[in-house]
Amino acid sequence: MNYNDEAYRLDAEIFTAIQRWHDYGQDISDEGFNELALRIFAHQLRYNEPYARYCETLGVTLDSLPSSWEAIPPIPSAAFKEAALATFPPAQAELSFATSGTTAGESGRHYMENGKLYDAALLAGFDRFMLPDHMRLRYLNLVPNPAQQPHSSLGYMIARVSERRGDGATAWYLDGDKLDIDALIGDLEAAVEHDRPVCIATTAFALVHVLDALHERHRYFALPNGSRVMETGGFKGRSRVVDRDDLYARTAERFGMTNCAIVAEYGMTELTTQYYDDVMIQGHDHEHASVRYKVSPPWLRARVVGPDGFTLPHGVVGALVHVDLANRASCIAIGTEDLGVRFDEGLVLIGRESGAALRGCSLSAEELLVR
Amino acid sequence: MNALRAVPARGIVRAVADAAARWADADFPPRVRLLNRVVERTGYTMPVVEYALDQLFESLSADALEATIAGELGSLEVLDGFALRPGRPRARALPVGSVCVISSRTTIGVAIVPAIFALCAKCDVLVKDREDGLVRAFFATLAEELDAFAEAARAQTWEGESDSLNVGSFDAIVAFGSDATLARIAASTKSGTRFIGFGSRASIGYVAREELRDTMHAKALAAGAARDLVLYETEGCLSLHALFVERRGGVDPATFTKLVAEEVERASVEFPPGLRDARASARIANARNLAAFRSAAGSGSVFSDARGSYLTVLDPPESEPPAFLPRAIAVHAVDNPSDAITYLARHDVPVEAVAIAGKREDLRSFAIEIGAHRIARFGDLQRPPIGGNHGGRSRIADFITWITDER
Repeated sequence: MNYNDEAYRLDAEIFTAIQRWHDYGQDISDEGFNELALRIFAHQLRYNEPYARYCETLGVTLDSLPSSWEAIPPIPSAAFKEAALATFPPAQAELSFATSGTTAGESGRHYMENGKLYDAALLAGFDRFMLPDHMRLRYLNLVPNPAQQPHSSLGYMIARVSERRGDGATAWYLDGDKLDIDALIGDLEAAVEHDRPVCIATTAFALVHVLDALHERHRYFALPNGSRVMETGGFKGRSRVVDRDDLYARTAERFGMTNCAIVAEYGMTELTTQYYDDVMIQGHDHEHASVRYKVSPPWLRARVVGPDGFTLPHGVVGALVHVDLANRASCIAIGTEDLGVRFDEGLVLIGRESGAALRGCSLSAEELLVR
Repeated sequence: MNALRAVPARGIVRAVADAAARWADADFPPRVRLLNRVVERTGYTMPVVEYALDQLFESLSADALEATIAGELGSLEVLDGFALRPGRPRARALPVGSVCVISSRTTIGVAIVPAIFALCAKCDVLVKDREDGLVRAFFATLAEELDAFAEAARAQTWEGESDSLNVGSFDAIVAFGSDATLARIAASTKSGTRFIGFGSRASIGYVAREELRDTMHAKALAAGAARDLVLYETEGCLSLHALFVERRGGVDPATFTKLVAEEVERASVEFPPGLRDARASARIANARNLAAFRSAAGSGSVFSDARGSYLTVLDPPESEPPAFLPRAIAVHAVDNPSDAITYLARHDVPVEAVAIAGKREDLRSFAIEIGAHRIARFGDLQRPPIGGNHGGRSRIADFITWITDER
């Protein structure tokens, strides 16, 4: 089978899995996930040369394939900054997204061979975890505008959602780092006046600025029923870090919504699929719960691993490895420095910004970053 | 106020040295009682904590203290009365007043040295330190040696960033911490207060090609570098955070990197790795995997183990700053010191000390150019002499004020 045939068939299988879950709620069995994951991995060993070379140094080749998806070597996410990790020539990518900069300010690219697959994956997850009530919302976006930043995966995702699930009155309020708070306030007033429920899609950092601005102006809103907030991203590299519980409490108070109408999305450019808090699907039962579990569509699974790469028992904090079947044309397994812990009820993400007290008197990487 | 004013300086020094000598004894009951608490607080293993206490208290000998004071002030006698100084007017060194030493980080006993010199200057001293009781217990021993210390030397717990800073009543503040913490403390001081800040810094190593003439010599240097790396889990400002190795020596940088890795494993027998939180473990594993990815692509090499208990990387991209991770070191192959200067400037690394192997004069110039305060031998980075100038500062001069008699 040549590359195109193999890629087409795999994409079709993944697309079918997405559609079945999206349309009928049909899960992927453990065996099904494992089998498809291993075939995608083998495909990547054949066609993604840098990934294959790396796996070879770990003793994993087409002749010595693992028997479980959990043994697929994760590529460190930062490797996307070092090489074009794709099974196809990047020039043929239908979509490409820039990864976040490192401390050295460099960024890499995640190349998507099949834009339709990307769209299907993101919409299915968003529909299930952000729109379980199928509500058509007005999208007020405090994330990078793809018109300005066409290579922002977050901007692309929200643009797609706004276009497909919005009421046609989508607005964007970020101009570079500048936030147009007056326009946002005006649009919130209009939404209230016309009883149009909204979805405020925002980075955590932008949300803090909005709340600060509303506080200064003594403004509160009672947003229409069904309104919600999708918050994403942390405070990495920012001079100000805000406690998430406090952030959500302030958000709920300021916008007149319940805590479970605020959903944290966790994604990364190196993935095709996203995780979400389970609060919308749990509904009001979750209102007073102290823990937010992360959920994902069934084609994305997370492992919590120790430094040796082995999966840790439930309840033990470790680094997250994501295995995303929709990453067919790049790397199926992505290793991160993000921390999480697995419970019977689900995955809990440990905030990127939460850290132990500084130790020793040495400079730290974080301090170097803000110098 | 100034409980030590009537005590002769030599008597203070002697009492400090006697107390330190008791603490230098590994079987001294207060030290034994405290050991587990320090281990628990720092996460370092017992041998590391024992080493730290040995280094700290063995360095506080009467001779070393007197030599340091005399070196800075001209003589010990100026602390007790007017005394002649060569070529200068008769003068007396008066205590600056009350001194507060704030140690917001986890380093073992870092507050003790400035506290000792402030006491030698006859100042009243309050230490606000992380809670493990080390300073408090040492001060109790001081008071056993000399009653006046009971009033002059006090210790309280530093509550971290939330600690309400009531430092307005002090005449001098010594603070260890991040730049942000130092700025916050400095902003709380009253006008005229002496502020002596020790911010976060890093240390590096530089190996000249002449020192890499043979494997045996290189191995000895690597052993020293390994010790400088593993002690205190690379968390100290005197820990080895980056290593520059000149090309065209008898032993090339790649081989030297391998030797360092071997010696790190050896040093880990004497100083086993301490407790590591999940974030540090994740970062090290990620750094190791990324280095392995680069190595697979033909760039550099990496030495580690499955658990990531250490990490030695050869030639990471110059765009990558030092990792600042436990027992992790990058070795940069360089042609000359200017390559290292360029790297350190690019990443704005504030250098406290540099371990240098090599006798060339340009290596001293290099140390000056990178702003280092100390040049040390490999293996001795973490053993600063009491008579040295940590942070480039004097030990006692900040705690006194002069009155001269020119009659």
